[in-house]
Amino acid sequence: MRQATYWLWMGAAAVLALAGGAALAVWDQTPRDATKLLALSLPDTSGRQQSLDQWRGKVLVVNFWATWCEPCRKEMPEFVIAQRELGTRGLQFVGIAVDQKEKVEQFAKDLDLNYPALIGGYDAVDISKSLGNDLSALPFTVIIDRKGHVARTQLGPFKPGILRSTIDSLL
Amino acid sequence: MGASPQERPLSPEKAFRFSARALNPHTVEARFSISDGYYLYRDKLHFAVEPATSGLSVPPLPDGKVKEDQFFGRVETYRGNLIVNLQLDGTKPGQKVVIQAESQGCADLGICYPPNVQRVTVALPAADSAPTKLDETPRKQWFQ
Repeated sequence: MRQATYWLWMGAAAVLALAGGAALAVWDQTPRDATKLLALSLPDTSGRQQSLDQWRGKVLVVNFWATWCEPCRKEMPEFVIAQRELGTRGLQFVGIAVDQKEKVEQFAKDLDLNYPALIGGYDAVDISKSLGNDLSALPFTVIIDRKGHVARTQLGPFKPGILRSTIDSLL
Repeated sequence: MGASPQERPLSPEKAFRFSARALNPHTVEARFSISDGYYLYRDKLHFAVEPATSGLSVPPLPDGKVKEDQFFGRVETYRGNLIVNLQLDGTKPGQKVVIQAESQGCADLGICYPPNVQRVTVALPAADSAPTKLDETPRKQWFQ
């Protein structure tokens, strides 16, 4: 009788574990494959089309941002420093602006932006949605490893140290 | 209580709940109920009405909390409840109108939302009457 109860509990635990796993799988819908993102081509501030695929093989940090998003602007100086310090080791930042070209141009000048700022307009929100940003909020950042896999996505600014430690582990 | 970084952020529709109701055949009260820890930008708030013949006039928006933005200069934001009484000079008693509100805001936890449009259909009262108190007016509206 005691043994039967034991197996009953074990069975219940297994069912719960499976259900929990399934729930987590539904919650985390971040795509691991960055093929769609890398296939993207958008104009930069000078109007030239830039394909993200040109940076395949690098550790690529794609940041969805806008000038009207204060938290986005606040974290960008850290991106500029990281690009300057780690660019030669294979790090590449790319900004996709959910914004107007003129405003992006001005802000890029003010900040001495040292990485490409592509203009996505409001359509860029849909691109980020397909990468797990179901709230369409900004900033949203996708870190892609050298093999083209999504290593991390981040909604909202990175906590201190997280960006660098993630990049360091991939370089 | 503001939103903590551990919380899952709200959708813009939940963070900035929009509703509208008729006060009389020519006045609609538009209301934003802004969740704690979230705020709307004053200069990004726009109202429209359908049909366009409703003759919408939007009064000056209330003053917001002033903030100096490094890039945009002086900006004003709203928290809590925001109420704007919209005047409709071209409506007929009993008519239905669609109030459209475009807004843009952010959360203290460090995210911002793109411009968001919310629409509410409001049935205007059949007879012309003086505006009634907020808590005494039956809600005659259909959310879309």
